[in-house]
Amino acid sequence: MKAGIVGAGILGRLLALRLVQAGWKVTLWDSEPWGSPSSCSFVAAGMLSPLSEIETAEVKVFEMGLRSMELWASLVAELGDVYYKTLGSLLIAHAQDADELVRIQQRFDYKLNAGHLVQRASPARLAELEPGLAHWPREALFLPHEGHLDNRQVMQALAKHLETLGAEWNVGVRVDSLEPGKIHAAGQTLPYDQVFDCRGLGAQTDWPQLRGVRGELIHVQAHEVNFSRPVRLIHPRFRIYIVPRPDHVFVLGASQIESQDLSPISVRTTLELLSAAYSVHPGFAEARILGSYVHCRPAFPDNLPRIAAKEGLVRINGLYRHGYLLAPTVVENVLDWLSGSPVRDPELLNSEGLK
Amino acid sequence: MDLKIGDVTLTSRLFVGSALYPSPAIMQEAIRASGAQVVTVSLKRQAPASQGGQFFWDLIKDLDCHVLPNTAGCRLANDAVNVAEMSREIFETSWIKLEVIGDDYTLQPHPFELVKAAEELVKRGFTVFPYCTEDLILCQKLRDLGCPVLMPWCAPIGSGQGLLNVFSLKTLRTRIPELPLIIDAGIGKPSHAVEALELGFDGVLINSALALAHDPVGMARAFAQGVDAGRRAFLAGPMEPKNMAQPSTPLLETPFWAGGGS
Repeated sequence: MKAGIVGAGILGRLLALRLVQAGWKVTLWDSEPWGSPSSCSFVAAGMLSPLSEIETAEVKVFEMGLRSMELWASLVAELGDVYYKTLGSLLIAHAQDADELVRIQQRFDYKLNAGHLVQRASPARLAELEPGLAHWPREALFLPHEGHLDNRQVMQALAKHLETLGAEWNVGVRVDSLEPGKIHAAGQTLPYDQVFDCRGLGAQTDWPQLRGVRGELIHVQAHEVNFSRPVRLIHPRFRIYIVPRPDHVFVLGASQIESQDLSPISVRTTLELLSAAYSVHPGFAEARILGSYVHCRPAFPDNLPRIAAKEGLVRINGLYRHGYLLAPTVVENVLDWLSGSPVRDPELLNSEGLK
Repeated sequence: MDLKIGDVTLTSRLFVGSALYPSPAIMQEAIRASGAQVVTVSLKRQAPASQGGQFFWDLIKDLDCHVLPNTAGCRLANDAVNVAEMSREIFETSWIKLEVIGDDYTLQPHPFELVKAAEELVKRGFTVFPYCTEDLILCQKLRDLGCPVLMPWCAPIGSGQGLLNVFSLKTLRTRIPELPLIIDAGIGKPSHAVEALELGFDGVLINSALALAHDPVGMARAFAQGVDAGRRAFLAGPMEPKNMAQPSTPLLETPFWAGGGS
């Protein structure tokens, strides 16, 4: 069976991996050159935080996220040496915003009755968990069942792994259009048994309900800061996270603006992200700014992913800000559908994208 | 029960914001459940010049409400005037909720820049809904400049604190009887909305109170009833509270001489 996958972001790559392993002959298409930072999957922060996300996300995201956490453990084992941690995450707030932590805890309880998944950490406990926050004088929330990974390493490792497994790469080639069983690109029509549309916002003309939600983030290197797990600063107006990477690199993110706008990061977001980081740890003052990145997350109006599947064409989209958290489960659902067995999350199936 | 603003007649006295909801789908459902006929929308961060927020704006237009664009995020009069001009083009409305912020943490209105911007926008033909503090002199000035409605806060935006300065709010109502007064900012619970309407305010604008509730749609229904209850109570004329317990019928078994001192 021949599969043509259009869009080599995290979703396209994970799907390719599972299809190759299931015996398909896979070709991956992407308009960007290999490793181009102009994909959402390169811009992401790589947090695996099913519980934190349900502050605003649907409970479905939590359920699928927990399943993905199990799948990531085995995926990472296959990929070899990638930065992947399951040390949990921390939620902190400044004194004037202490109510916000209470509010978030209430939200977890309201949506999930998930009190047991959250631990309150006194300053002493916080210092023990995260010595880099020993100076933080207030109680924090510790969410032990969360994780994070280096998304760029994962993307590269997947590409390498796919190459060794014999997947074909057609990158830097723009696909003009696709239809059941066919991909049209560079003046040619290529036949496949099944075409998979993983283009994210690139599929907007075929799926008009799709919108882009702008996100901006900054990479810094701070030799004076040691965090081993993501730290979220809860504030009445911003949600800011600091996600560690190897070698004292930190991802500071992320804005969330209802705008399909790919222009460079704004001064306002830059000020917000950098001053938030500095307010959490003064060691960020001497950090070096490695770069800022902007992309738009593909999302449907309910901010949940959708799979539109029929003979010859499967469209998958709308992973919104949960690409890494949800992709493994979404791929599992697609594989279920292909094998004719009942899909794990039938709510994802939506035929609108096939009209 | 209707509220008139200019030549627009509204049957709902609830104005709602469109920010901060968990998803656009929930935003739409909550706004529909609230029965509101006026929805505010902010443009400033959504790249209005390149129409970046088009998809989101279309979702707002789908609601079939009066769109009240705002100038949230502006700190200077000129800036607010520019955003107002872009809003007029995008939403084809001369309505503008004028926000000029003086303090980043409390989002307190900047009275001086606000007055400057209001003056200019009225000149340019806008229907200006100024977001202001409850200061009587500021409100009178905005009225005199030609704002057909005033939107005083009752507490800082997003604080959900309710009516913090009832004395000043009552003064405003009494001293500016001729304009619709809509409480904008600070309402957290339906009981706050009831209180505002009972005092004779013409409506309330809410956003965080819905968007940050655990169940925005359920909270929207509660607010719809709260606003309705408050308005009916105002029209029905609440009794004045009395500072002593007073029996409403004579208690015959208590001889009047038995209670009195000496």
